[in-house]
Amino acid sequence: MMRDAQSLVDALRDPVTVLSLDGAGWTDLISIARAESLIGSLAHRLANITVPEQVRPILKDAIQATDLARQQALWEADCARRALASLNCKVVLMKGTAYVAGDLDAGIGRSIGDLDIMAAQDSLPAVEEALLDAGWEWVKPDPYDDQYYREHMHELPPLIHRERDRMIDVHHTTLPLTAKPTPNPQAMLDAAVKLDSGLYVMSPADMLLHSVAHLFADGDLAGGLRNLWDIDRLVRQFSGADEEFWTELGVRARLHQLEPHLARAIRLAARLYDTPVDKYRGGHTRFADYLYIRRLLARDGWGRESRKFIRQAFYIRSHWLRMPPLMLARHLWTKWRKG
Amino acid sequence: MSQLYRAAASEGLIQHPLDSMTLVYQKSSGITHIVADPVPAILTVMGEQALTAVDIAGRLSDRYDLEDSGDTAEIVLARLVELCSLGLVDKV
Amino acid sequence: MHQLYLTVGPTRYRLVSAWQRPLDQLAALYQNYPVSQDGYADFTVRLEPEKPWRRYIRPSVHISGDFWLPDAAPLPLDQSLLAAEMGMNLQMALGWRRHLLLHASSVEKDGKVLLMTGLSGSGKSTLSAMLAEKGWRFMGDEFALLDPDTGMVHSFPRLISLKNEAIAAMRAIVPENRFGPLMKGTPKGDIRHVIPPQNAVNRMADTAKPALLLFPRFGHDPALRDMGKSEIFVRLTQASTNYVALGETGFRALTHFVDTVPTKAMDYQSGDQAEDLIDSLWSELP
Repeated sequence: MMRDAQSLVDALRDPVTVLSLDGAGWTDLISIARAESLIGSLAHRLANITVPEQVRPILKDAIQATDLARQQALWEADCARRALASLNCKVVLMKGTAYVAGDLDAGIGRSIGDLDIMAAQDSLPAVEEALLDAGWEWVKPDPYDDQYYREHMHELPPLIHRERDRMIDVHHTTLPLTAKPTPNPQAMLDAAVKLDSGLYVMSPADMLLHSVAHLFADGDLAGGLRNLWDIDRLVRQFSGADEEFWTELGVRARLHQLEPHLARAIRLAARLYDTPVDKYRGGHTRFADYLYIRRLLARDGWGRESRKFIRQAFYIRSHWLRMPPLMLARHLWTKWRKG
Repeated sequence: MSQLYRAAASEGLIQHPLDSMTLVYQKSSGITHIVADPVPAILTVMGEQALTAVDIAGRLSDRYDLEDSGDTAEIVLARLVELCSLGLVDKV
Repeated sequence: MHQLYLTVGPTRYRLVSAWQRPLDQLAALYQNYPVSQDGYADFTVRLEPEKPWRRYIRPSVHISGDFWLPDAAPLPLDQSLLAAEMGMNLQMALGWRRHLLLHASSVEKDGKVLLMTGLSGSGKSTLSAMLAEKGWRFMGDEFALLDPDTGMVHSFPRLISLKNEAIAAMRAIVPENRFGPLMKGTPKGDIRHVIPPQNAVNRMADTAKPALLLFPRFGHDPALRDMGKSEIFVRLTQASTNYVALGETGFRALTHFVDTVPTKAMDYQSGDQAEDLIDSLWSELP
């Protein structure tokens, strides 16, 4: 059994590496890729490789499943567009939906869950009302949760559509308001790019930086391999299309206070996926990078999370990144009491 | 009544009649709608043009040789509002 | 961790478990199924302790795998066979895309398939198990796999899962050596698995054309009723775990099925009544 997710990283970086796998190796690779939500991306990467006949239908299924995810994500975005059309406010698509709406390489084979959108903070009450009018409902009617979200987090409490059963997360910035760093949401909105549909996506540099912020500041690095794969795809496409991309990226990283995060993400992406970063000074590999890599690869061939200790270390860390300690204690206390 | 409506492109919808109801599969959403008369007829006469409820009522009367009882346009309008909320029809 | 490979119909599983016992039980019950040694699998199912120390102390089995539900409650270790079957079903329900999955039992005769679907308690599973002992080929008691390209039904003859009273009823017609261990007090009541007849396993790759769909309902005076096509369609979408996931393919497969397969609602109070009703319908088929 494979001890970590290296085979998945190898297959994504250099598809011919799968040619040496035996049956059990393929089964491990598939379990790891499913657990990391990268099976669709992997299937597309292996499109030109002759794979064993036992594997071919699994990859075909993955491609069809992510085709459907893409279609549903675009439909959900369009539903939000229709619901919010009369407000005349910028609605910026985020994460996976933005990648497929912008027809970016990062969207190829990507699994997409909730719809994430960003809108200006002062338009949030109107956005909320319009979504409630159009059939979305609060997921949790707990006022503590609502107050908690509104005061401290970077999004409204999640809404779910009562008929389509799909979630929408409305953000007004990209990170919790209590977190450091504090990216500049107004600058992100101002620079957003309009699509033919009338919806917006972030500018290339901001889109990459949001992915970086998401990787480090949100959660315990769970899903990190996919997040870094997004980063790899975005860097390749944007830097290939625009010579000024690295310069612009540096400027925006400074503006959003994300320079060290960007540097680390770039180092990790280059290390794992060979992301071409020769025009960017990410600095030398740090000892902490080694821990991050260990954490990112912590998935065994049966699809289980491995290296529990390292995971735990990152989990605690990620909570502290999100909330100042006292607030964390209060939050946990409330959770303990109310279950 | 001057509001214009346009149906989702016809190649994006698959209609399949079953006894009294008609299934409408919408490719863009992957959603299967199950609709009763006169919705299939409304979608059919709309084609891909932007039309008002009165236009559509007129086309229905012509196509199906209906006697216009005067309230056809209102019935059509009520269905159009529902179809808009389902995303099968867009306001133009 | 221990592992076991199983093949059921078109699907190959790898089961990994913190305990050897459930895998031994499965290996014994599936011993006459085809064996794959090449290491390939469509799905991995995992049976693990809920917490590391729960491997030994009041052990409870957490079910997961390639596809999983976030809120799946664990089962006690003596129900681990049930846990494994649930894990295998879950992979199909959430991950299988090569067929339209209908939550239905199926049996075949003369190259034609009888499908039975309905809510839990309708008796569809018991009826299929009973017919399998009376000249029909058992194709599955849980999922019928409909090929969207050909319209044919593919067999998925996993172990037959009997509940409560159905256990005693089947004991009367099936030899003891085809029964698995009795699991008492599961969330579904008493459960006992039965190995399908050997010809169901030998012929599990043979597809057949769907010829009759029944919605059985147990506990009412015997009767057959027609159903409207819209009602049939809606109930089948509710009985399919992957209708939505297949998109247009699912729509085309299901509308074709509803247009071409004769369908009845069937009320019955005993296996014999059901058999008579089925025989009468079967003899009228083209």
